Amino acid sequence: MITSAISRRASLAGLTLFAADSQARAQAPQAPQQLLNVSYDPTREFYREYHTAFAEFWAGQGHPRPRLSASHGGSGRQARAVIDGLAADVVTLALAYDIDAIADRGLLAKEWQTRLPDNASPYTSTIVFLVRRGNPKALRDWPDLLKAGVSVITPNPKTSGGARWNYLALWAWALRQPGGTEATAEQAVTQLFRQVPVLDTGARGSTTTFVQRGQGDVLLAWENEAHLALQEFPQAGLEIVYPAFSILAEPPVSVVDANVDRRGTRPLAEAYLQHLYSDQGQRIAAKHFYRPRNPDVLREAGSRFPNIEFATVDTVFGGWRRAQATHFDDGGVFDRIYRPGGR
Amino acid sequence: MTARPRAATADPPWLAGLLIGAALAVAGVVLVLPLAAVFTESLRRGWEVAWEAIIEPDAVSAMQLTLLVAAIAVPVNTLGGIAAAWAIARCDFPGRRLLVTLIELPFSVSPVISGLVYVLLFGAQGYFGPWLAAHDIQILFALPGLVLATIFVTFPFVARTLIPLMQEQGQAEEEAALTLGANTWQILWHVTLPKIRWALLAGILLCNARAMGEFGAVAVVSGHIRGQTNTMPLHVEILYNEYMFVGAFAVASLLALLGLITLGAKTALEILSRSRMGSHA
Amino acid sequence: MSVRITGLSRRFNGQAALDDVSLEIARGEFTALLGPSGSGKTTLLRVLAGLDFPDAGLVEIDGRDVGQVPARERRVGVVFQHYALFRHMSVAENVAFGLRVRPRATRPAAAEIDRRVRELLELVQIPELAGRFPDQCSGGQRQRIALARALAIEPLLLLLDEPFAALDAVVRKDVRRWVRGLHDRLGITTILVTHDQEEALELADRVAVLDRGRLAQFAPPATLLEAPATAFVAGFLGEASCIPARLSGGRLESPLPGLAAPPAWPDGALRLFLRPHEVAVEAGPGPGLVRMVHPSLGAGTRVVLELEGHVLEGVVPPGLPVPERGGPCGLRALAATAFHEDGSRARLA
Repeated sequence: MITSAISRRASLAGLTLFAADSQARAQAPQAPQQLLNVSYDPTREFYREYHTAFAEFWAGQGHPRPRLSASHGGSGRQARAVIDGLAADVVTLALAYDIDAIADRGLLAKEWQTRLPDNASPYTSTIVFLVRRGNPKALRDWPDLLKAGVSVITPNPKTSGGARWNYLALWAWALRQPGGTEATAEQAVTQLFRQVPVLDTGARGSTTTFVQRGQGDVLLAWENEAHLALQEFPQAGLEIVYPAFSILAEPPVSVVDANVDRRGTRPLAEAYLQHLYSDQGQRIAAKHFYRPRNPDVLREAGSRFPNIEFATVDTVFGGWRRAQATHFDDGGVFDRIYRPGGR
Repeated sequence: MTARPRAATADPPWLAGLLIGAALAVAGVVLVLPLAAVFTESLRRGWEVAWEAIIEPDAVSAMQLTLLVAAIAVPVNTLGGIAAAWAIARCDFPGRRLLVTLIELPFSVSPVISGLVYVLLFGAQGYFGPWLAAHDIQILFALPGLVLATIFVTFPFVARTLIPLMQEQGQAEEEAALTLGANTWQILWHVTLPKIRWALLAGILLCNARAMGEFGAVAVVSGHIRGQTNTMPLHVEILYNEYMFVGAFAVASLLALLGLITLGAKTALEILSRSRMGSHA
Repeated sequence: MSVRITGLSRRFNGQAALDDVSLEIARGEFTALLGPSGSGKTTLLRVLAGLDFPDAGLVEIDGRDVGQVPARERRVGVVFQHYALFRHMSVAENVAFGLRVRPRATRPAAAEIDRRVRELLELVQIPELAGRFPDQCSGGQRQRIALARALAIEPLLLLLDEPFAALDAVVRKDVRRWVRGLHDRLGITTILVTHDQEEALELADRVAVLDRGRLAQFAPPATLLEAPATAFVAGFLGEASCIPARLSGGRLESPLPGLAAPPAWPDGALRLFLRPHEVAVEAGPGPGLVRMVHPSLGAGTRVVLELEGHVLEGVVPPGLPVPERGGPCGLRALAATAFHEDGSRARLA
C-alpha cells in the first residue's frame, strides 16, 4: 500500500528507469496486478464479496492473484475524483451520466455503454419504500406518499444519484396516470418535496436519518439499500413496500481506458467487469439485493425480487443526459420546485 | 474543589461556585460524555469484537498510513514552524505581516478548501496535472497528497506557539552569545532552542494530534481506497457508513486514545517545565 | 585598546539616532556615555559591539577598522542591561560559553576551561555560585556573572550597558566602586552607558554627553561641571536651574538680581544656569515663593522656590533663619553660567 506509492516515486529516479519499469509491467503479466474499482456508496458489501470471488477466479485462470481494491463515495463525487486523477481501472457508478462525465474528459471511449451487454449494467435495481412496522400510514403506492401528513425521507437530488432515481420514478409514475402531463408530474414532485423534512446529501445519510434517528414515515430507497437496512437493524421494525410501478435503475460499469492502458491492466479490468455477468457474479449481486440480468439467476432468487412494472430513463426521459439537463442541472426543474425552507 | 476568592475584588463565593459548576457541566456534556460514549459503544459487544475490528487488515493499514503521514508532516512543520517563527520574531523584512497572515490561513479556511486547492493544483485537470501524469508522478489520491494536505492544515501549530514566546523573550541572549563568539548554529542550538523547547514540544504535540485526526482536507485528496489511502479518521467514517458500528467506534476509540495520550504528554510537559522553572526561582 | 570613532551616523526610519559622532578613547581608559533616553548612547554601544551597523562613519579598535568585522570576531565583551544570562545554563556554563563556542583549533581543553571559569568566578567573588542557575541568583550576583562571562573572552574592549540600573540603591554604590576597582586592576578599556550622571561622574575618567544623537561634550567630569560646552550639558548635569534673561543695550534683564552683564556680548536672549549653591535665599519679603524646604547637614538649607513662574533651587546659608513653606523669600544670584542664543558661553558673577 504505502510502499506502492513510495516505489512509484522511487522509480522516478530516472526516466529510463521508469520506462524500463513500465515496459516490464507490460511484458510480464505474471507479476501480481493491482486493480482499483471506483464505485458508489451502497455497493460496498457487494464488491467486498465479489473481490474474493473474482480474485479466486482470475488466479484459477493461471494468473497471479490480483490485488483488488475499491473506493466508495457519492457517485457524482467519485466521478469527479476519477476526472481529477484518481487512478481507477474500472468505474461502477450509480448513473450513466456520471460515467458520461468521465468520457467527456477523454478518459474513456464515448461509446462505453455499448461495449458490454445490457447497456453495460450487469445488475439493476429499483426504488422501493421502506416504512415502519405494520405500515401505520398505509403507504402502498406513489399517490399515498402525497397525502397530507406523510413525512418522506429522500436525499438531495442535486448531490445524490439515488435521489435522482427517486425523483424520476415519481415523475414517470405521474406521467402514466390518466391525464398525466409534464405539468401534473411537476405538481407531484413539488408536493413530494414539500413533505421532506431533511434532505441528506447521500443515500446512506438518509437511511441513517430514517432508521436511527426515527425521522419520517417512509424512506425512498434503493431496493438493495432497503434490504440491507432490514438486515442490519432487525430490531428497528421496518418493512419494505413495493409500489406497483417503479423505475428501472441501471447502475453502469466501464473500464477507464486511459488508466488501464497506462498501467497495463486492461485484460484484468475487462475480465473483472465481464465476470460480473457470469453466473457467479450474478448470484453475488442477487445475494446483495441487486437484480441480476441473467433470467435464470433471477428465477433462482424467487420471491426475493417481486415482479413490478418498470419505466426506464431512456424511454421516459430520453436518456440520462437529457434527464440531467432538464431536471437537475442548475436552473432545472428541481431548482424551480424546491426552495429550502420555503414550504 | 472549593471556590475560594483570591482577592477582595473577586466575585462572591456563590457566583464563583455557579460559574465553576457551569463550566464543569458544559465540559462534561460537550467533551467528556461524547468521548465516554465512543469508548462504551466500541466495547458494547466485548473486547474481542473491538480488538478484531482494530487488527483487521484495512484498519491496520489505515493506522500505518496515519502514523506515516504524521511522521512526515510533523517534522516538516516543526522545521518550517521554527523557521517562520524565527523570521517573524527576529527579523524585520518586507512581507513580514503578510507571512504572519499566511501562517493563520490554514486556521481560517475550511480544511475542505485546503484539500480542493491541492486538487486544483495537482488534479489531472489541475495546473500541474498534465506534467505530473506525463512523468507518472501520483500526488493526489496517494501518499504525497495526503502528506501535503496534512502539512497545510497543521502548519500553524508550531509557528503559532513559538511566535508570541519568541517575541516576548526578545533576542538579548542571542546577542550576548554573538558577542561571546558563537556562530549562527551554535546560537540556534545552545541558546534559542533551549529557550523555546517546552513551547516547541507542546506545539509539536498539538501538531501531531491534529495531523493524526485531520479529516476534511484529507478526505478530499484521499480517493478513499481501502487499505491504501484511507487514514484512520476516513476509515472510521467508512466503517460507520457500512453499519459496522463496533468497528467504527473501536477505531475511533483508538484514534481518540492517541489524541488523549498526546494531550496527556503535553500536560505532563507543562507541569514538568513549570516545576523546573519554579526550582530556579 | 584604543577606540577611535569618526563621523558616525545611524538613522532609524529617518530619525537620526547618531549624528556625525566622533570621539577617541585612550587605551585603558574608563569612559562613560551619558545622556537621556533617546540620546543615542545605546545605539553607539551596539555599533561598537557589532550588533548594529552605522550608515556612515568609521570605528577603529586599536587602529583596525572593524566596520566589516562581525560581532563574534570583535572580542568586545558586553554586559547587557538585564544581563541576558542563559537561563538554562548554570553559572559556570554561562561563564564558559565564550570559550566553549570557539573553533576547535583555538578552544582550550575542558580542564583548562574549568580552571578559567573558576578563576573568573573568584575574580568577581562568587565562586560558590558555580553550580546554580541564574534564576537562583540575586541581581548583584547576576551582574557579576555577566561580567565574568564577558571577561572570559579576554575582551579588547568592555561595554557596560546600564549595568547598575537593575540594582537597588543600597547595593548600587558598592557595586559601582567594585567595578571601577576591577577596571583599575585589569586595565581593560571600558565604556559605560548610563543615563545617571552621578554614576558617570563618579566612575569615568572622561564622560561623553550625548544630546539627540550628537556629541555635546567629551571631557573629564570636573570640566563638564565647571565649563559645560552647551546649554544642554549645563542643564543636564549638576542639578542646575534654568532662567531666561535678555541682554538689551548692554544691560542684563533678569528676574534674578545680583548678576553683572557679560562684557562684549551683543544684545539678545540668554539662558542662565544656576546650581543651588549659586542662589542665596533669605527669609523675609521678596519676589520668591517658597515651595519646598529640605533640611540638610552642614552646607545650609536647600530651598525649592518659584520666581515669576520659574522653578529654581537655592540655599539658605548656615546659621540664617529658614523661610517657611508657602511664604515669600528674598533671593540673589552669586554666580551663573550664561549661554547666548548665538551659542557663546560665559561665567557670570
